[in-house]
Amino acid sequence: MAEPYLRVEKLVKRFGPFTALGGVDLEVYPGEVHALLGDNGAGKSTLIKTLAGVHQPTEGQIYIEGKPVQFRSPRDASAAGIGTVYQDLALNQLMSVTRNFFMGRELKKSFGMLDLDKMNQIAHDEMLKIGIDFSDPTQAVGTMSGGQRQTLAIARAIHFGAKVLILDEPTSALGQKQQMGVLKTIKRVRKRGDIAIIFITHNEIHSRLVGDRFSFLALGKVIGAGTSEEITDKEMRRLMSGGAEMGDLEQELAEIG
Amino acid sequence: MADLSEADRLAQETWLQRTIRRPEIGSFIVMIVIVVVLTWASNGKAFNALGLKNNIQIIAQYGIIAIGAALLMIAGEFDLSIGSMIGFAGMSMAIMLKWGLPFGLGAATPLTALLITLAMTLTLGWIIGTIVVRSGLSSFIVTLAFLFFMRGVTEVSFRLINQSTQVSGLPDFKEESWVAWVFGGEVFGWFYDAWYWIGVQFVNMGVERGDQWFTLGGNLNRRGTQWVEGFDARFLWFILIALVAYYILSRTQLGNWIYATGDNKDAARANGVPTNKVKIGLFMFTAFCATIFAACQVFENNTSDAAKGNLMELFAIAIAVVGGTLMTGGFGTVLGVVFGAITVGLVANAVFFIPAIDGAWFRVFLGAILLAAVFANERIRKRITGGI
Repeated sequence: MAEPYLRVEKLVKRFGPFTALGGVDLEVYPGEVHALLGDNGAGKSTLIKTLAGVHQPTEGQIYIEGKPVQFRSPRDASAAGIGTVYQDLALNQLMSVTRNFFMGRELKKSFGMLDLDKMNQIAHDEMLKIGIDFSDPTQAVGTMSGGQRQTLAIARAIHFGAKVLILDEPTSALGQKQQMGVLKTIKRVRKRGDIAIIFITHNEIHSRLVGDRFSFLALGKVIGAGTSEEITDKEMRRLMSGGAEMGDLEQELAEIG
Repeated sequence: MADLSEADRLAQETWLQRTIRRPEIGSFIVMIVIVVVLTWASNGKAFNALGLKNNIQIIAQYGIIAIGAALLMIAGEFDLSIGSMIGFAGMSMAIMLKWGLPFGLGAATPLTALLITLAMTLTLGWIIGTIVVRSGLSSFIVTLAFLFFMRGVTEVSFRLINQSTQVSGLPDFKEESWVAWVFGGEVFGWFYDAWYWIGVQFVNMGVERGDQWFTLGGNLNRRGTQWVEGFDARFLWFILIALVAYYILSRTQLGNWIYATGDNKDAARANGVPTNKVKIGLFMFTAFCATIFAACQVFENNTSDAAKGNLMELFAIAIAVVGGTLMTGGFGTVLGVVFGAITVGLVANAVFFIPAIDGAWFRVFLGAILLAAVFANERIRKRITGGI
């Protein structure tokens, strides 16, 4: 890996007196899954919203392919190849798969007419590439399972030029089987080799299954980072709990009685 | 593969199953039932030459404003100012035609009166839309304010300029002005000519005139010659507006934006849909439909008064709902609204063909069918969203 597609250097984000991010460094390489772990309130959401252009950093710099960039809006970030798949997925339940896939970026023929045949074909093909053979793209999204919706949102982000795919807790609201489906989808996207994935999760098992590189956030700081070889399971558990030794916790629990 | 089998759980449907599951099916069946019952109860009179003309007159009136209201509802907003907008537009055109253009610009022609009125109503639609999207207030309350505001302005303007809340006795503009004729004249005369001609052929072959309820029934005056010469011009406007709305909603990018805006505004915005512009544009569209409605009224009868269009906003919303439009937005079709307009229009007129019934039954029927439609629409929504 020569160069990270996305690099974040000493990123600081303050909301008034509150420091949400206190100097975060992050490197994301194409063809890799970068798992971002941390407890609630660790700053994960602020970090991805800053990367997605929703927030502007107070200090620090974001680099895309080595060049410093500034995102003033989500549109800027999207144009720079950052595709964010939020937890609510930004899907419309009553509309068809195809109409959701192309929402806001419809393919047009003359007189503003939608090229529905082509749109159906592309939506079907793009979803098949990452694992779902959804036979009828005119079906409403409301009829899809949570995992299928996740796949639709990911396929959409990739089709519209995402080079960095930010997945915000994609497995958190799903059943066991669907979680595995989403992990498979992540693996398939990784296999393409040209897309960098930031995988935000609470779940150390999921991150271990697909992650190539890990960063642990606690109280707005990276408290540990490394490749999957460098980080042992024990180390991971320690970092997951915000850096406190598991032994300390056991002792504290014992003291309570 | 796990995902594959999950997708397969959706059963493939036959053509018939698909047709039955279409969102318009409910309003279509109700419409057919009404047509059959009305034909039977009126002894065919409801659909003879004159009956058809009269029915289509009211269907077209309802349809024009219901389509505007439905598109706006699909985008997630209401417009309660439609009726007052009709009154305002009618007042504006009638007063200009009688008293001349504002600021001493001389006498008005039907074209200038229409264009100036349209400029005002579209601006009002824009203002209403802008207030709704900027303030984030419910469109229900904002347009309710405009319902009162514009009805009041209409009445005050009538009294101040015209000294009376009614303008009547305008010259019959459609005789010389094509603009007035386009709104107030008659269209599709060939339809009645053709049926009259066929009826005459049958008479020549020895068939009694009285036995031809469709070809000649209601189509003869006292001298025994053709009476009904065409449909009201508003029929043409209804067809035009329905076709354009159908095309836009189901076939264009703008249509996709309208659905997306009403379904989940935040999701639409996150994907780059200009939801505010869509909504403002649709508030302007309902104002446009109301103006067309008013223009047809003014140029057909050469009159206007301060009560024109009263309660029409509620009929428009009711018809949109009967036609399968969801109150919560994101779902509805133009075809369904057309069926709804036909159903409600026929029942509104039924009293003229079945003199035995009390006209107030119309409102009883409308209330009942509205409630049934809301329940049916909610079921459809639940089926699509998987019961959430």
